[in-house]
Amino acid sequence: MRIAIPLLLISSATVGLAQEAQQPQSMKGVVRKNLVPVSTNVLIVKFPRPVERRLKNGLQLLNLENHRLPTVSLALVMPFSSLSEPAEKIGVADCVADMLTLGAGSRDARQFVERLGELGASLNVQAEFGARSTTVTASSLSENLDAVLDLLSDVLLRPTFPQDELDKWKTRQLSQLQQVRTNPGFLAQERMHQVLYGADARKYIITNAEAIRAITRDDLVSFHKTYYRPGGTLAGVAGDVSTAAIATRLEKILAAWEGAVPPSPKLPLEQPIAGKKVYLINRPNSVQTALSLANRAIGRLDPDYEAVQVMNRVLGAGPASRLFRNIREDKGFTYGVGSAFTAQAFKNHFAASSSVRTAVTGPALDEFLKEFEDIRSRPVPKQELEEAKRAIVAGYALSLENQGNVLRQTLLRREYGLPDDYFDTYPAKIMAITAEDVQRVARKYVPVDNLQIFAVGEADKIREVLAKFGPIEEFTAEGAPVKAP
Amino acid sequence: MLRFLFLVTSALLAAGPPATLPRIKFSDTRLPNGLRVIVSEDKYAPVFSIAVSYNVGSRDERMGRTGFAHLFEHMMFKGSDKVGPGEHFVTIFNNGGNMNGTTNTDRTLYYETLPKNQLDLSLFLESDRMRSLAITKENLDNQRNAVQEERRLAIDNQPYGPSREKLTELAYDSFAYKHSVIGSMADLNAATVDDVRDFFKTYYAPNNAVVALVGDLNTAETIAKVKKYFGDIPRQEPPKPADLTEPPQQAERRLDMDDKLARLPQVVMVYKTPPSAHADTAALNVMAQIVGGGQSSRLYQKLVKEKEVATSVFAFPMERGGPGLFYIAATVRPGKTPKEVEGQISEELSRLHASPVTPDELKRARASIRRAAISAQESSLTRAINLADDAVIYNDPGRMNTEPQKELYATAADIERVAKAYLRTSNRTVVTTVPAAAPSPASAKKDGAK
Repeated sequence: MRIAIPLLLISSATVGLAQEAQQPQSMKGVVRKNLVPVSTNVLIVKFPRPVERRLKNGLQLLNLENHRLPTVSLALVMPFSSLSEPAEKIGVADCVADMLTLGAGSRDARQFVERLGELGASLNVQAEFGARSTTVTASSLSENLDAVLDLLSDVLLRPTFPQDELDKWKTRQLSQLQQVRTNPGFLAQERMHQVLYGADARKYIITNAEAIRAITRDDLVSFHKTYYRPGGTLAGVAGDVSTAAIATRLEKILAAWEGAVPPSPKLPLEQPIAGKKVYLINRPNSVQTALSLANRAIGRLDPDYEAVQVMNRVLGAGPASRLFRNIREDKGFTYGVGSAFTAQAFKNHFAASSSVRTAVTGPALDEFLKEFEDIRSRPVPKQELEEAKRAIVAGYALSLENQGNVLRQTLLRREYGLPDDYFDTYPAKIMAITAEDVQRVARKYVPVDNLQIFAVGEADKIREVLAKFGPIEEFTAEGAPVKAP
Repeated sequence: MLRFLFLVTSALLAAGPPATLPRIKFSDTRLPNGLRVIVSEDKYAPVFSIAVSYNVGSRDERMGRTGFAHLFEHMMFKGSDKVGPGEHFVTIFNNGGNMNGTTNTDRTLYYETLPKNQLDLSLFLESDRMRSLAITKENLDNQRNAVQEERRLAIDNQPYGPSREKLTELAYDSFAYKHSVIGSMADLNAATVDDVRDFFKTYYAPNNAVVALVGDLNTAETIAKVKKYFGDIPRQEPPKPADLTEPPQQAERRLDMDDKLARLPQVVMVYKTPPSAHADTAALNVMAQIVGGGQSSRLYQKLVKEKEVATSVFAFPMERGGPGLFYIAATVRPGKTPKEVEGQISEELSRLHASPVTPDELKRARASIRRAAISAQESSLTRAINLADDAVIYNDPGRMNTEPQKELYATAADIERVAKAYLRTSNRTVVTTVPAAAPSPASAKKDGAK
């Protein structure tokens, strides 16, 4: 059985974008002959809406029933993360998440993973550092759903946290702490979080060796008991199961699960940092410099969110954007370049990034800054603006193919308390953004005078050129400050 | 009812595999100019994907021009008769689509996913560059830079990057598969406009390509449109196939590498396997799943969990049109040595020679195969790519329907047989990478001993 997705065609008159054969036009890095036959209609798709039901234990069920494939995806979104950890217990949330599948109910770690294997199913718990939520995801063939739900209830209600598995987990984590320091992207992210969120636990994107060694089994038991609760938790389900059936099964297997998740700590989003600064992380033997240009910006519920999406589409989202056309296509400094806004409950930053060969570190930064200044100082031309909006709205059709993606988007909307018709009204909101809106949010959120630069590379080869962009603070690849000579 | 179904399925799995897996239906036609056109309808979402796969890869490069097939792929975005440089990707993204290109040893692939009303857009763009690529020195120099940055990003600035390149150099004898797809900096610098022109004429012809379209389409209309856009592109002399023959390997090959960017040692071993169209491929794939596919696998349980000598380990069949590789890689835990890791891997592999895999192991492998075959039905792009690539590489567009079925029927005896046939010391190549300058002196001393 298929679910037909109702469509609506917005005509070109509404979108205001008629493409005609014209003289070749040049945008930086691209020449347009405008001979391609483009359909001027924009498909507006109807995003599926879930059926919602509150279960007896307080769990909020959202079901996206869809019988296209004999599979079911499930995601429990629980409103806590590393930010709820006691200050001296960094990484406990992450450890609990990993340990939940390493011994639960009557199964030890090996039996658990073998059972998942024979069901052809997956079950994972993810506690991302600094996120709003911790997520349990499971996916299964619909014929094995009951058996996978049994494993889910073991994980939520009956984890055993075996001491020997904890010891082995620590060993693996300590190795990974070493391994991750070879990754230039990690080193840039680590420093950026330290700078943008230095006042509280948001500054961590990973734990440290001392904290790993200090975790005890009692910490895990206590954290699990306090936070893994149904009240405030969303249970999103998508696929080959009816709402009545999944509600009944969840109520049955989670009957003993009760209570509410304690509220998260109050961590307000802060204003952008003032003043320019360069953070240089020395990664010896690098042949590229990994650059991130960043500052604090907006959270998910900011009224500027839609305008920022359009502005960033023009500036740095995807290969049609200015940063890509200039720095890759026109200059050939890099393989990839882009910018993104991280707009979450507890994180609010803008970052543009690229890896460029060491010799063009300075010229690449010059080009980033030119583009930043340009989008702040000059209204975006009409055609470029209309195309950016069209790209966002038309691209929505592509998001419908994947059941897991529809589920994620639905849960995100619900997590942030956005209205039920949010996806229906989103295209109109995007189409209403003006060139003035774009320039206003660019001035507000694209940093120039207060640019924070994070550069990971061979320090001796780039230190001098970086000094032009702000006072430098230098660090080792271990994350330790380097004293000026 | 569901419980009942579950029991029936379990019983089937224990006794033998279920008889059927989902099948993808498609049409398969050839235009007079030799272009093969494959269409598969799926009205679920209002989108379609197109994959254009050319029968050319790094295997077709000549000595002194390594990396050229991939460099050429980049040139395909720099314009043609009716499309300006970069206009291809700008037009696709601005109309809500996604696209990319990718090159491997055996083929070069271009693909897009777009809203369903943009079929003409995609066919126009793909046909114009097949017909009339803009070949200029300026475009070549421009993309040479981007590709060299891609090389730095993927190989030169990464731990274990150079080791990956050396591994295939050592494992293969024939030039076709010996050199890396990304190529050397010197060869990338040496590429000329004449090379681009020759390559385009030889390989980018309709009779050397397959177009696959999957999604919210009408088959007859779509084929008519493909004819309209591609029908007048002239066929060319078929290119001479690359020589992929490998002499049988007589002895183990080994290499120790120093790596200035790595912090932990790594052991990678590959065993030569036959071309993927060979009947043993199904059993090799199931064996890889049992030996090193995920956390329930033998290698993970032994090396990472039980003995704690490695922080990660996996086994993977590298399928190719020509001779393939059965690939095993492990990262060594601090305080342990590559030798200990290699010893544990060898011990696990010799168990495969000595006794059959268990019914439980087979059951898990089959569940995973079945799950993957069902998941592959979801994305129009995945299906378009499989149809086009399998038509180009194996002359078998329906391979995604038949291969999982063969894997479900692979038995413990088949696996024991292929283990004995291919997992032999004399048939393997081992590359061990150790950090050249260890960050902490303690781990360097322990791990650096060779």
